Amino acid sequence: MKIEDRLSVLNYKTDKSYAHITVKPDICETCPDHFCTFACPANCYTLIEGKLNFKYEDCVECGTCDVACAHGSVTWTNTKGAHGIKYKFG
Amino acid sequence: MVLEIIVMVKQVPDSQEVVIDPVTMNLNRSLTRNVTNSADENALEAALRIKDKVGANVTVISMGPPQAETTMIECLARGADRAILASDRFFGGADTYPTGLTIAATISKIGKFDIIFAGEESSDSSTGHVGPGVAEFLNIDQITYASSVDYEDGYVTADRELEGGTETVRVPTPVLVTVLLNSNSPRMQTLRRKIDAVKKGMEVWDHDKIGLQPEWVGVRGSPTIVRKMRPIKERERAAKKIDVAGLGDLARELYEKKILKLEEE
Amino acid sequence: MSEFDAIVIGAGPAGASAAIRLASSKKNVLLVEKSDPPGSKNVSGGVLWGSSLSSIIPDWEKSAPVERFVDTKSVAFLTQDSKIGIDFSSKKLQQKKTGYTVLRAKLDQWLARKAKEAGAMVINGVTVEKLHMENGKVTGVEQGGDVITSDAVILCEGANPRVAIDSGLHKRLSDRDVAIGVKEVISLPEATINERFHLKSGAGFACEYVLGYLQNGVEAGGFLYTNKDSISVGIVVSMSHLRQNDATHSFDIIESFTGHPYIAPLLEGGNMQEYSAHLVQEGGIGSMPKLYGNGYMIAGDSAGFSFSNGLVLQGMNYAIDSGIIAADTFIEASKGMDYSESALKLYQDRLESSYVMKDMRTFKGIENVTWSPFVHKKVPAMLESLMLNLFMEEGKPKKHMTGMLLDAMSENDMLKASSIMEAYRMMRRM
Repeated sequence: MKIEDRLSVLNYKTDKSYAHITVKPDICETCPDHFCTFACPANCYTLIEGKLNFKYEDCVECGTCDVACAHGSVTWTNTKGAHGIKYKFG
Repeated sequence: MVLEIIVMVKQVPDSQEVVIDPVTMNLNRSLTRNVTNSADENALEAALRIKDKVGANVTVISMGPPQAETTMIECLARGADRAILASDRFFGGADTYPTGLTIAATISKIGKFDIIFAGEESSDSSTGHVGPGVAEFLNIDQITYASSVDYEDGYVTADRELEGGTETVRVPTPVLVTVLLNSNSPRMQTLRRKIDAVKKGMEVWDHDKIGLQPEWVGVRGSPTIVRKMRPIKERERAAKKIDVAGLGDLARELYEKKILKLEEE
Repeated sequence: MSEFDAIVIGAGPAGASAAIRLASSKKNVLLVEKSDPPGSKNVSGGVLWGSSLSSIIPDWEKSAPVERFVDTKSVAFLTQDSKIGIDFSSKKLQQKKTGYTVLRAKLDQWLARKAKEAGAMVINGVTVEKLHMENGKVTGVEQGGDVITSDAVILCEGANPRVAIDSGLHKRLSDRDVAIGVKEVISLPEATINERFHLKSGAGFACEYVLGYLQNGVEAGGFLYTNKDSISVGIVVSMSHLRQNDATHSFDIIESFTGHPYIAPLLEGGNMQEYSAHLVQEGGIGSMPKLYGNGYMIAGDSAGFSFSNGLVLQGMNYAIDSGIIAADTFIEASKGMDYSESALKLYQDRLESSYVMKDMRTFKGIENVTWSPFVHKKVPAMLESLMLNLFMEEGKPKKHMTGMLLDAMSENDMLKASSIMEAYRMMRRM
């Protein structure tokens, strides 16, 4: 099963006005490892033609990327107003 | 005199989580959680913006079981001043007619009102009946499917999104306005306001308090009979991956299948 | 005067337990949870071990939304082609139920309701932004520009404690502190689960696995727990090993686990209902923050309380008990109206004399055992060769058990002095 299919069963209340995680593109551009792309279980970090692409909408708020990024690019905050992932089972 | 605004809200099953039992054709409620109907959040936000501008007393009302309390508290925590839940076992099983009647009677009981807001429709039954029904029961004007709403000197001005254009209307109060889903971004609840909301709590009104006879409301007052329900057959979605270089071929294929037309045709 | 006696941040097992205890003692307590409903952002394996809840909810086993009690507990090593495991089933586990499989979205919502029933004010759907500090003392929380005051704050934010980190009470997490947990919930009819795992109604199966087949230095453990009509299956992968590998995606490991020849048949015919991920506290005592200070205490996963010796994974029981101990400390401190660091030191003292800190100290360094090539590579390979030697009948003369064991060990380079020392150190830590 592809990661996209796994994520497709999840329920999110997406916050369209606030990204709870942001990355600094200038840091990502020179990043030697892009470990985030391997660590993130929700595949929010991908490389498109060598460039890091990040989308917060699929985030399951595990906190992995904040630990994974050793270069200070990730700014991680809690989602606000009950937005974000809504697990049924957990 | 302070403006009196009423907002009609409904608690609905989270549409993203709705699971239909294939055998009974009913909602599998054990796996479904309740949320505030999204369009009603937009209706509340429209009301709160008028409150921010000219000052108003905002009362949210709903009809539903006691667990609708979470929705009522949420509305208070966003900025409503008062929450009234019409809740009574006699109200159960109502279709849109007695629902409108119950809410209209609740509003009459409150007394003075200038603007009534409602969401365009609820996500669980999608009729869009109740808002207009309330306006008819109360015999007031109504503006439906408003994308933006403003109030000034006794008049509500609203944009209505229609096919092919936008209509701007200006109507004197009292008036009922139904608000389009996603027409604004609802403000968040704050901890301060939510604490105060929990302390304040909601009022629960039964049929007696509202002044309704049991036979007028709920399942007994409902003219609708559901004859049959059937599930939608899920179709396998066919996807085709193409290269940018292959766009020309795709266009030709779609043209041949008469999916794509050339402009002069 | 403060608006609340105590504010508890986070309605997981730690926070809800603290709030229940405080409210039951007539304390004016606010429990704030960012998710709505409570529990809808929480993930655990999850088996709830022990009966910690009984001290705050006496008949919890009757009313809590538990899935099944564990009557078969297993551990197993997986290699590419084999599974070598130990099953423990016991009438004693049936009589004295010590572990229950749970699903956190249901359990935590129930716990929050219990807190409300006990008299706590439970607010969910609002995220606390930071702690409010006055003269070096925590005196409340801040949200949306407002300050809500309290005599003390108990932080129970879970494995990713943002408020504590942002307030400087917890250092930023690093590779050695946490692992990544990835999980699927797969639905199967109750009867199918009973049949497939040889379970009586209500009884459950729980197993932890060492994924000895993973390549390129990746180390991960797996777990599989039976719920009433679903199976929780997942992996816990070490952040640092994944980083060194730099070729494997965290989500590929769960794929390889659920597709393993001895796991896939257990899940066959099921529908994946949910995919989830969460950080797992793995750092042991070395990752623990200072647990108390002026006006605050930290409990549960935020405090680093979790235990794994490879045979069992525990966290919720520590969360519940540390939450209760924090609440008891607050109640004690309230007698003298003193919530200073020196008064709240009692929290640390009580934890030290409870199993919570005793376990943390007894198993100091266990993470170096559970995350070691010895356990993840050598042991599975050795066990596989031993078993193959035992059961592959090739018409040749057999050796004694010890001979075969020595052969299997030498095949896998385990007879070296360094390996023997490693095994010895490992056994001591376990």
